[in-house]
Amino acid sequence: MTDKPTRFVPPRIVTVWFPDWPVTAAGFNPDTPAAVMSADRVVARTPAAATEGVVVGQRRRQAQRRCPNIELVDHDPDRAAREFEPIVRAVAELSPRFDVIEPGWISLAALGPSRYFGGDLPLAQKLLAGVVPDEAAGRVATTQPGIGIADGRFASSVAARLSVRRGAPVMVEPGESPAFCAELSIGWLQTLGESDPELVELFTRLGLRRLGDLAALPAPDVIGRFGHPGVHAHRLASGVDIRPPSTTDPAPERRLDQVLDDPAAQSGAVVFTAKQLADELAASLGADGRVCTRLVVLLETEHGERSERSWYRSAGLSAPAMVERVRWQLDAWINLPKGSDQELTGGISLIRLTPDEVRSDDGSQLGLWGGQSAADRQAARAIARLTTLTSESAVTVPVWRGGRLPADRYQWVPAMMVDLDGRARAVSRAGTGSGPSGPWPGALPSPSPATVFADPYPIELFDEHGQAVSVSGRGVISAPPTSLRLLTGDASSGWRPGSPRPIVAWAGPWPVEERWWEPGSHRRLARFQLVTDDHNGYLVIAEKQRWWISARYD
Amino acid sequence: MHNTNKCSYTRKMEQALALPELIALGDRVAPVLLAHERTLPVAEELTELFVEGGLVRGRILTCTGLAATSLALALIAPVVAAGSWLGVVDLPTFGLDAASEFGLPLERVVAVNGAGGSDSDDRWANLWPDVMAAAIDGFDVLLARVPAGVSPSAVRKVATRVQRRGAVVVLLGDLGPATCDGVLHTEPAGWTGVGDGHGHLQQRSVVVQASGRRMPGRCRRELMLPA
Repeated sequence: MTDKPTRFVPPRIVTVWFPDWPVTAAGFNPDTPAAVMSADRVVARTPAAATEGVVVGQRRRQAQRRCPNIELVDHDPDRAAREFEPIVRAVAELSPRFDVIEPGWISLAALGPSRYFGGDLPLAQKLLAGVVPDEAAGRVATTQPGIGIADGRFASSVAARLSVRRGAPVMVEPGESPAFCAELSIGWLQTLGESDPELVELFTRLGLRRLGDLAALPAPDVIGRFGHPGVHAHRLASGVDIRPPSTTDPAPERRLDQVLDDPAAQSGAVVFTAKQLADELAASLGADGRVCTRLVVLLETEHGERSERSWYRSAGLSAPAMVERVRWQLDAWINLPKGSDQELTGGISLIRLTPDEVRSDDGSQLGLWGGQSAADRQAARAIARLTTLTSESAVTVPVWRGGRLPADRYQWVPAMMVDLDGRARAVSRAGTGSGPSGPWPGALPSPSPATVFADPYPIELFDEHGQAVSVSGRGVISAPPTSLRLLTGDASSGWRPGSPRPIVAWAGPWPVEERWWEPGSHRRLARFQLVTDDHNGYLVIAEKQRWWISARYD
Repeated sequence: MHNTNKCSYTRKMEQALALPELIALGDRVAPVLLAHERTLPVAEELTELFVEGGLVRGRILTCTGLAATSLALALIAPVVAAGSWLGVVDLPTFGLDAASEFGLPLERVVAVNGAGGSDSDDRWANLWPDVMAAAIDGFDVLLARVPAGVSPSAVRKVATRVQRRGAVVVLLGDLGPATCDGVLHTEPAGWTGVGDGHGHLQQRSVVVQASGRRMPGRCRRELMLPA
């Protein structure tokens, strides 16, 4: 880079980075080989798996070949965000202003806190002490986070990652960021998600192997040859991690909020309102050719508790991505342990979305192969059309939730509220999810019922003497069932029994005791499979001395 | 020099290629688009049910009998796995676990449901043709139920749209005024794996009988579900 008399010095940033956060969030001990998969690729693994040679980006089969006893679970961004909440709160104790880039990755402006705690190093130690999770949430073992301090977000993120390997905070002295960046491999642009793999590969093929090589090129040549993505990469490589000068901070009136006169106690209602705000915000920014890269989401309850988080995404936040952040934040808040500070006690009465940082929308180049297909675009249009025809809640897509009863395992979420690009990870489940090593021990063995009733049908079960069959508290059945009788009608007008059907085969009981720690949602039930003489297979549950058909194997 | 070389080469080719192979080649390069060429792939054990060897685009099928839903899932799973989207209209009991066990990728499943409650039944019956039309335009495969009270003319309009757009519709449950190009009737012959208080449901053999306007031959086939 040629010497310029005046150079913009990017703000000093501290980055805290938890290596392989998704696998920590999934609750694995660092000493057990385990990995989190997304779209058949490893996205995170434990140190034990890493020593066996499992690397990020590997396919499922390759990982299993390297390490046959590896435990694989599917990626669940909601879980990762939820588990990260205690750490976010620990950071909030130290600094009021910080960005959650993704679960496991936080950056904050160093200037204020550093002055308060007496320098960068004391701040780093303070952060380390604050976020080590056993103190924050009583979690047992996690990997040590990396802390990096440097000028600019990019240099500081790289420093945090290097700090994990070195086992100590990495500090880049003020003004040294360009020199620090120059020595780095060009691959960091891809690792941190700042540039496409294709662009990085092109740089490598052109002989630009270090960031310094790229920074040495004159900026006008870079924009002529590589366009906007190239200029972005060049700027980062030069250690001048600033927003393009064409953007200005959004005016305060860009801030959108919605006061709910009738506080929303259902998270769905909150997310719906947030969706309207996000659509409006993204549209108004888009009209100016700009996109929001940092969004501050503020939620406030009728009792005055607040949750404020700032979310950062260098590629820009689309409306569905904003809604997803609101959903993460709300979910994490709802799942806070009882008795913690700012605990949610009432309905949400205020939602505010503030675009804290915007930049001009350079557009993104879609891949020639892969990416969205014509069928996907057509489907997205059809979803919009169907939603206007019916209602938002009538057009739904499934999201994996997990559970031991067929009706619990997936949740139908309004399609307009879901980012359809990243769907694969939201619905997949690890393996079949039903094995003893799966994430839901006690789930029913496959095959699963093809017809699942959201509202089970009441039935009566009789043994060979015509006595009603019951299940004891210890999960023991009083007598083998020999016939069942469907009940029609409803509770208010009385149940009318149908004609009895003989049972030719049955299996069970498989008892389930769910959420025994929460009196409100505690369930205790036993599951049976029954086959009647007309070859109908049923999944039957016994709960509170009553019998229900919860699904049919048809 | 060059020309003669080429001629002798062609002559050799002709001698080398036997007549049956030439006929096969002729078939392959024929420019006519027949019904069996507009097919979508189905699982191997189900190909014999269709004269065309697969699901023909633009047709409406129905699955009936005790294993109707499983058969429908087995039919459409390979199509959705190949990149098509599945619209599930008015089937709130759709078993997602079962679908994913048949190999159906759930990220391309969209459900449209009529609002519950008896007073909204009429409204849903009026809305159904429009919902179906929008879904047919957007998704290649549809799994649907015909609500009570739909007029025959509305059903005909839907059928025309299916044909024009080349979607595949599988209807379940009571057909009402709808007519189908093919009926796949299932008769299960008992479950394996479950006994008198032990084991669990594992598999069942199902006899599938194909009949209907566009399904000549009344083909019967016994298969295991899940395979």
